Amino acid sequence: MEDDILTTLKILIIGESGVGKSSLLLRFTDDTFDPEQSATIGVDFKVKTISVDGNKAKLAIWDTAGQERFRTLTPSYYRGAQGVILVYDVTRRETFTKLDNWLNELETYCTRNDLVKMLVGNKIDKENHELDRAEGLKFARKHSMLFIEASAKTRDGVQCAFEELVEKIIQTPGLWQSENHGRAVQLTDEDAGGGTCGGYCSLV
Amino acid sequence: PGCLFQQESEVFEITDFTTASEWERFVSRVEEVLNDWKLTGNSGSYTSGTWCEKSQDINFADFKFYITHHFLKDECEQDEGTDTPKEDVLPLAMQDLLCMNNDFPPRAHCLVRWYGLREFVVISPGTNCEAIISESKCNLLLSSVSISLANCGSQVPMFVQIQQKWRRMYAGECQGSGVRTDFEIVQLRKVPSQYNHLSGLLDIFKSKIGCTLFPLPPVNIAIRFTYILQDWQQYSWPQQPPDFDTLLGGEVGGVEFGKLPFGACEEPISELHLATTWPYLTEGIVVDNDVYSDLDPLQAPHWSVRVKTAENPQCLLGEFLMEFFKLCCKKESTEEVLGRGLSEEEGKENSDISSALSKLTEPTATVPITKLSVSNMVHTARKHIRRHRRIDESPLNTDVLNSVLLYLFPDAAVEKSSENIKSKTNLFLQLKSAPSDSLTYRLALCVCLVNYNYGGPRAVAHLWQEFVLELRYRLENNYLIYGLAGGPPDLRCCLLHQKLQMLNCCIERKRARDEVRKTLDSNKDRELKVSGGSQNSRQAPESAASTTTSQGKSWDSWSDSEDEFFECLSDQGEIEAPQTDGGKDVSKSKAEGRLHPYNNMTLLNSTEPLYVPVTQEPAPMTEDLLEEQSEVLAKLGTSAEGTHLRARMQSACLLSDMESFKAANPGCVLEDFVRWYSPRDYVEEEVVDEKGNTVVKGELSPRMKIPGNMWVEAWETARVTPARRQRRLFDDTKEAEKVLHYLAMQKPADVACHLLPCMIHAAILKLKEEESVEDIPSVKKNIQQTISQASKLLHPPNRDYKKLEVSDNCAQIFTGKSLMWFVSSLLEEPEVAVIGAGQGPAGSIIHRLFINSQRAALLAPMDEDLGPDRKLPGRSSKVADFPPPAGREILLRTCVPRPAPYSKALPQRLFCVMMRDEFRLAGAFSTDTSFF
Repeated sequence: MEDDILTTLKILIIGESGVGKSSLLLRFTDDTFDPEQSATIGVDFKVKTISVDGNKAKLAIWDTAGQERFRTLTPSYYRGAQGVILVYDVTRRETFTKLDNWLNELETYCTRNDLVKMLVGNKIDKENHELDRAEGLKFARKHSMLFIEASAKTRDGVQCAFEELVEKIIQTPGLWQSENHGRAVQLTDEDAGGGTCGGYCSLV
Repeated sequence: PGCLFQQESEVFEITDFTTASEWERFVSRVEEVLNDWKLTGNSGSYTSGTWCEKSQDINFADFKFYITHHFLKDECEQDEGTDTPKEDVLPLAMQDLLCMNNDFPPRAHCLVRWYGLREFVVISPGTNCEAIISESKCNLLLSSVSISLANCGSQVPMFVQIQQKWRRMYAGECQGSGVRTDFEIVQLRKVPSQYNHLSGLLDIFKSKIGCTLFPLPPVNIAIRFTYILQDWQQYSWPQQPPDFDTLLGGEVGGVEFGKLPFGACEEPISELHLATTWPYLTEGIVVDNDVYSDLDPLQAPHWSVRVKTAENPQCLLGEFLMEFFKLCCKKESTEEVLGRGLSEEEGKENSDISSALSKLTEPTATVPITKLSVSNMVHTARKHIRRHRRIDESPLNTDVLNSVLLYLFPDAAVEKSSENIKSKTNLFLQLKSAPSDSLTYRLALCVCLVNYNYGGPRAVAHLWQEFVLELRYRLENNYLIYGLAGGPPDLRCCLLHQKLQMLNCCIERKRARDEVRKTLDSNKDRELKVSGGSQNSRQAPESAASTTTSQGKSWDSWSDSEDEFFECLSDQGEIEAPQTDGGKDVSKSKAEGRLHPYNNMTLLNSTEPLYVPVTQEPAPMTEDLLEEQSEVLAKLGTSAEGTHLRARMQSACLLSDMESFKAANPGCVLEDFVRWYSPRDYVEEEVVDEKGNTVVKGELSPRMKIPGNMWVEAWETARVTPARRQRRLFDDTKEAEKVLHYLAMQKPADVACHLLPCMIHAAILKLKEEESVEDIPSVKKNIQQTISQASKLLHPPNRDYKKLEVSDNCAQIFTGKSLMWFVSSLLEEPEVAVIGAGQGPAGSIIHRLFINSQRAALLAPMDEDLGPDRKLPGRSSKVADFPPPAGREILLRTCVPRPAPYSKALPQRLFCVMMRDEFRLAGAFSTDTSFF
């Protein structure tokens, strides 16, 4: 059923080590949870086709390692992403405070500045929250991101996070449609449009 | 919108689906739009701003319309209190019908021209929809409009476009309290003779008003005649294209290669329009009928001129870009362009995915070093070129070639290279080109100039060969390439720039290695056994490495026969546990490749500090390599095996780091490594031991303890090897060869395509420079527009976009734009008033232009010494001074009661246009609806 796929989107998942990036991805693609998910080395990759508003989109999702040392390696894969999921762990404040670094990283390595960003506060099933929802919301608003709290373990919010992100990307046609069907800039002011006067013309 | 807000909007959307018939739905949609646009009630105040429009689709059953709101943008804040229309005030549109300030706008929507409106809404059929021609459909639409306006209480005039689009026929309506204005248009191909003058038009106007009052209040009249001057033949265009031979002939300096030419080669103005206006006339003051006319253009109180620029004038910048673009489209290979095969010595392409895959899957496998004798190759290539030159003329003359190369590689300045490359603007990021002082950018300028002036594609091919040879020479001799920012390739720049940066990375590493070797050799000569200190003198690839504190080992063992290791240093005698000279402190002397202690931590199993090791830097990558690699990674699929294989492929770096760590921290365990590398995965807990003391106990996180996980596996495999004795993760020798091979394979057209973004960048900078001298706001705006457009075109979401189309557009942009500069303020202001009209100094020059043109047209002798009073203006001479007007506009208006003599006096207006092939009457007639 490749025919009815509207577009293929590249999505990134980034965030500090151990916030549950791979678990979120696994929950989304396979609907499973593995408490013994091993630490990602470099980047990993999964594919899933989803349908949003009747549009089928194929997602190529790149999961990245969070370790400092891998950061010299992973940003090379940021290229061309249309969406990014930025994950922090609601039970560990330091994963939240490091978000600014991740945003900087995105800014430096992303090839497009209009990519859609989503902030996900993961592990809300745990009890010892160090961050409340309001803080996440505030950060997301400040950086114009989508925001949701989720739990890969209980599957809360996971599906919704990916769907919202994709929907938003699809609503931003410049992100996924190639605009290569020659539209030159109209520089002359005379509108020669066959007298429709859609624009502003002079008498002669 | 986030998940939170979705519910609200859904509820909001449902309510509107209850309206019954298609027609009712249409009406309600129109109302909805009016409400959305806040066009209910009275609004707006007098402004002098720019025109704006808002548009949206609106359906009548299946038929698509556009509804567009045109309005003069308010400069002051919108007054919130105007929502409720005052009973006694006429709608703004009706007041505008009589307002004289907006007569004959130089450039405006036709409805503004005809009716003097400052705000209106138009419904017109969507693109590809047929026109509304049948009378019943027109009426249906008009009544929809009427109902919507009444329901909303909107006082904005609303029009429906009817008939074929080219006819520009609109019917419309405006409603106020107790008053209504109907807008009607008549359009014919020929002017009926009885209406071909003022008096005939006045008759129509009066009969249309149908006012029975006597005497009728006088009709106000405004008239404008427009004359066109097309013939400029007798005036030669002063600017000649610069003579490029003299440009370089005298001073063959590189300077001129950094510049793009600018200017038009021919007259960019194709037409001059003179508008003669009589703004305030009253009925009876002026006579214009079929036998006589008072309307002599020379006597008109107001003159204004405008220019029409040539459709496609030849301009230097545009020409250069067009030629460059044509080069991009050439299909010929270098061989075909230059003649004999010159690139045969380069091997065949070896960068296909399978080889990349094999390289990745066996990260530690020995990569065979390309046994290429670089100097040999350079030699043969040069010979080839020389022989070729002897046979037929060299494509690019030696002087020019030398000055180009000197400009591209100003060797004297090599030392200050990488630091100073910091562009002031970030335009290159938007265009994905290269910084404006980079080698890539300068190369683009040279290729463009060489292509245009010094022999086209042949010369470009020749220049490119020389360029690549120069790069090879630099690699061979460890000279960094001047004019490139240091560090790994900047993925935000164009691919060619990245390739050059990559080559520089290779040269840098090679140079560092050779320097170490040199130091070693000299040390060896002195037969010194050195320890520790002397290591500081060597130049390591990373500055970090120079801070190494480890004890040195016997230099004797270094050998320069091998190329494979990170620092090009093999070490046959000592593996893992080298014997040291002193041998006093075993654990300390064993350690190698330490960078610095880590956070005062000590190893878990000893009291030794935990050291961060010197590590290998990850391989620099260009975007095509990256793409290749991610493709390989993606191809492994999403299965568990795929994931595992992917992790394994990427573990080379992890393994190398582990080996370095082991070397720097003898006696360490995986826990130590994890504490440095992934602190999160070492979990510490306070526990109370059997003696009742709280102690901190740490262990690996559960995920690190999974049996057989990659980290454990890698740790077990990792040998004790400092980075400098490890196999190189980045094989700069091979990468350098790959880059040079890639470059050598580029056809002239490929080179041009690579450089196109830089070329566009350069052209935009040139335009900016010219613009800053002249300071023309509209050009400034256009430049911004061009940048954003170009940025869109050059940042394709996928790589297989239609390059040709793109570049074509860009070329057009510049052809169009370079002419702008020349028309200066005439272009800025759509129309410029002539001070003193026909009698002023400017006016008499224009007058003479017309007279000369008229004479030339009729082959009459030119009257050079026409004094201002020697000839009577107007029709006294045999040949008329002015051609027949290309357009006549007559505006009639009055304020009379309709439909009955006792109704309110309301604005009435008729705008008449008479041109060679069009006759149009646009009437706006208001009626008092209070009692009818």
